[in-house]
Amino acid sequence: MSTSSYKKQEYAGTGSSNALPDKMAVFQDCIQQFNATPVKTKRCRQLLARLLRLIYTGETFPAQESTTLFFSISKLFQHKDSSLRQLVYLTIKELSSLSDDILMVTSSIMKDIQGGDVIYKPNAIRTLSKVLDPTTVFAAERLFKNAIVDKNPIISSAALISSYNLLPNAKDVVKRFTNETLETIQSYKQFPPTQFQLHEYYGSSTSNLPPTSYMYQYHALGLLYHLRNHDKMALMKLITTLSEGSALKNSLSIIQLIRYINKILNDDESLVVHLYPILAGFLKHRSDMVELEACKTLINLQHLIKDDQFMAIITTLQKLLGVPRTATRFAAIRLINKVSIKHPEKIMVVNIELEGLINDSNRSISTLAITTLLKTMGAGTVDSGAGGENVDRLITRMTSLMDEITEDFKIVIIEAIENLALKFPSKHKKLVAFLTDLLRDDGSLQLKSSIVDALFDLIKFLPDASAKQLILMNLCEFIEDCEFTELSVRILHLLGDEGPNTTNPSYYIRHIYNRLVLENSIVRSSAVISLAKFAAVCGGDVAKNIKILLSRCLNDVDDEVRDRTALSLKFINNNQKKLIVSSSKYDLAALESKLTHYLNDQANFSTKFDINEIPLLSSEELKSLEYNRKINKLDSSTTDVTENAESVAGTPAAEDKSGADDTANELLKQQEYAQELSLIPEFAEYGKLSKSTITPFYLTEKENEFVVTVVKHFFIEAQKLVLQYNITNTLPRSVLQDISVIAQPDNELYEEDFIIPLAELKPDSTGTVYVSFSTPSIEDEELLAAFGNTVAYTNKDIIDDEGNVDERDDGWSDEYQIDDLEVSAGDFINPLYNSNFSAAYDQLPNPETSVVTVGKADSLEVAISKLRASLNLMPLDGSDYVPSDSNSHVLKLFGKDVWGGKVGVLVRLALTGGKIVAKIEARAETEGFSSIVANGAY
Amino acid sequence: MSLNISLYTISAVLILDNEGERLYANYYNHSGSQENGGESHFQTLAQQTKFESSIFSKINKAHQDIILYDNHLITYKQTNDIILVIVAKINENESLIYSTVATLFESLNILLDNTIDKSTIISKYDLVSLAIDETIDDGIIIEIEPAIIVSRVTNAPKFDTNVHVDLDKGIFDALSFASKKIGERLQQGF
Repeated sequence: MSTSSYKKQEYAGTGSSNALPDKMAVFQDCIQQFNATPVKTKRCRQLLARLLRLIYTGETFPAQESTTLFFSISKLFQHKDSSLRQLVYLTIKELSSLSDDILMVTSSIMKDIQGGDVIYKPNAIRTLSKVLDPTTVFAAERLFKNAIVDKNPIISSAALISSYNLLPNAKDVVKRFTNETLETIQSYKQFPPTQFQLHEYYGSSTSNLPPTSYMYQYHALGLLYHLRNHDKMALMKLITTLSEGSALKNSLSIIQLIRYINKILNDDESLVVHLYPILAGFLKHRSDMVELEACKTLINLQHLIKDDQFMAIITTLQKLLGVPRTATRFAAIRLINKVSIKHPEKIMVVNIELEGLINDSNRSISTLAITTLLKTMGAGTVDSGAGGENVDRLITRMTSLMDEITEDFKIVIIEAIENLALKFPSKHKKLVAFLTDLLRDDGSLQLKSSIVDALFDLIKFLPDASAKQLILMNLCEFIEDCEFTELSVRILHLLGDEGPNTTNPSYYIRHIYNRLVLENSIVRSSAVISLAKFAAVCGGDVAKNIKILLSRCLNDVDDEVRDRTALSLKFINNNQKKLIVSSSKYDLAALESKLTHYLNDQANFSTKFDINEIPLLSSEELKSLEYNRKINKLDSSTTDVTENAESVAGTPAAEDKSGADDTANELLKQQEYAQELSLIPEFAEYGKLSKSTITPFYLTEKENEFVVTVVKHFFIEAQKLVLQYNITNTLPRSVLQDISVIAQPDNELYEEDFIIPLAELKPDSTGTVYVSFSTPSIEDEELLAAFGNTVAYTNKDIIDDEGNVDERDDGWSDEYQIDDLEVSAGDFINPLYNSNFSAAYDQLPNPETSVVTVGKADSLEVAISKLRASLNLMPLDGSDYVPSDSNSHVLKLFGKDVWGGKVGVLVRLALTGGKIVAKIEARAETEGFSSIVANGAY
Repeated sequence: MSLNISLYTISAVLILDNEGERLYANYYNHSGSQENGGESHFQTLAQQTKFESSIFSKINKAHQDIILYDNHLITYKQTNDIILVIVAKINENESLIYSTVATLFESLNILLDNTIDKSTIISKYDLVSLAIDETIDDGIIIEIEPAIIVSRVTNAPKFDTNVHVDLDKGIFDALSFASKKIGERLQQGF
């Protein structure tokens, strides 16, 4: 027996077992076999396959070895067998990233492209883009051009893909293929029928097979876009030509075309008139992927299209919901879910289809169906109140579903339910019941935490006191046999905060006391604190009883429990309510920034840290912060709710955080402004800064020669208004000097005190001009004003590269008029949350009514956001949401003015004859302010 | 959602076995394309295998065809003891990606004679890797018609083409040829 036959057996052995072949053995064999003469084709192909398997499972070869491999593989070029050659090309392509010596095979590849077999020619072309570099690409130009226009669609596609891959390195060369590419898009290329016979599966019956798949159109279009994308006119022409008739036969190329249309529309929305018909045409197509892409694009552009046009999209989606292919249904419901976030009423027509999908075999689909339904239900029933049965039905179906689905999806559904309950408080009863039922079932800590989180939020934000009680009682029951210490502690803390203010505190005390008897020391110590809160708030008999209960804990085995009991008893006996229950909290963000500031500089340590610098937030203000945060989070998270649900790693999207922190940032920003202003001696005596507008207001176009933004600072006690003009010089060759702003108020009660001008402003820098005014007080009749603004400056040209100006040049003085600035009612108001608008509103004095037409608003939605912006109040009871089919709406707004009084506004909006009329009823604690609010809205 | 206007559509093609071990894994890194922003968290083998094992736990034996996971759109086909997975960006056209995985699956099915399983894939690895290469190149979808893909994949040579130049015989031939020639020259010339 010779050595070679012995080896053959060995290979057969390793081949049949599924273990990964040994790297060094494969390497050695490759070197040996590839260099052998004659080349054994079958053996070599086997070896290459084994090598590829190593590569595709993640093995790598050191540079030295891959070079050796490369050299030996290149020997195989001498062999004519096309089946071997095809695999050689694949291997070279995969090895190309590992070796630096790939250039040496360039000429062999080029030779194959010129005269090689049609089988491996496309492989050669695709490999070529890997071995070419910017210096050698010129040599291949001719080859590429010929290949692109080749009659064989595969060769053409390969050349187009190869050129596409070359774009980053050799765009100028690829540009010369533009004509050939254009020709290819509109040509007809047929797959050589003889090639089908290569595989016996098709045998001789090739007549049923498609002659071409037109994929070259897709590749050509993709390449062409990159050659043309700087030229909008050329692109428009391309789109119109290709969208006519059936110029594009390939679905992928149509998808690509739709994306280009989308891109163009993103840049220039005015083109929608020309491009909408094209997109709408694709809503009915034989391929569902084209229909999907058209829906996707149109939904992205929904602000540009009319309602009836929108219905066409929904109809297409409705059809797609019923197709057998899971991926398509999934895509359709994903889109519908996206629409439902903003416009649940628009998709109510598909409710029946959605209900059918609740039991879909794909869990993502059923979850999306449920969350979407929860939204449309809410939309349908917010006003009528008649849709209660729908919610009932949905909840019954969900309850049955809950047993079957994984926890991730349960958490998604819990979030959706919480969202619904927050937005539509009238529906809370059913939803709370659903949540508490779920809480009783078995579940992991993560699931239970999310339910408890949801219930906590509902307690905080539901206006109805009975709802609060219901949830609290359920939570009490839950901790009776809760296996998670962490959750028990949280619930006990909440009971301590909320329980004393309910009608039957003794109920909760009993439950908490049970914990004291039965639980571990961690739960016991938090139960002690919780009980102490009841004693402090309720007083009287309750306090007396609690003292008895607590005194028993003085003998607890755990020292923490004993300590806490002793301390609590001491506080209760001395009536130190404040030490047990805090009515206000420090703004943590501000505290953190102040502390970091303090700790960063040793010099600060000579004085004590002054805690009084940190603003104290009352529990109400804290609630409005949290409410805002919550709503923001819900809105942003529903977008990617399913995405998150699927991810175990749970990478919470970063944008969630940014949205949630907005409100906290506002407070920080206010602090920063106060700090900045206090450093300017002129403003030192103004005292405490009452309020600053947070977002700078643009008084010029953003691409002007200079860009001016303004921030208004109010010092109410000193009756001062400081306007902070931030001016940015965008002129590259000019220096501005002696810049000041002349602000002309239309209200005589505003008197200008002084201007702090800006000495010099270099190109691309920003400076600040302050203008200070004495303002009228609230007793004066006219508080609001508008300012006409003019920037005055001296302009000097830059004469050298260092940015210097000619000393002798006096420059020229100029004035530049910028937009007017208004002081509106909203400037005196901070939004404030209140869980019970009607009660709070009814208690407010000084009612004042006015009727205005909301300008420049063509829908209720726009009008509401305008009113919110101008009045700077917080919308309550979910009243900022308008179903788009209604013609009237009631908006409830609440806030707190800078003098410390509460402001409530009830706005009745009606849409008549294309105009929006608002009847505004304002009530405010501060005398005289309600009329300002009522008349200041526009 | 930023729009993908490039041809680079597919992020990765994977074939995993019934324990989540990779049989084939090809991650397409489009560092060249700007749309991608160069962000790719599949740079290292460790990241890749971590990703594979976590999607495997999500999709194994759950016949969902398509899921969203960790900001990726994942479509797959499971049969016997393997899963064929295609990973794309989250905002890709779901139907398009699913068509690609279905196409590839059907092509493999034809090429492997209706037996897509672990041992067949390993023994006919050349066909598998060629079929994938004829379907997707560098993340660009080349072909969505199974018949064309199948026809593009060459079968392995049935036997070693024995153009056996018998070395020994060759040398003898040459020697005898040479001796004959020399003999002739000798006779002619001298």
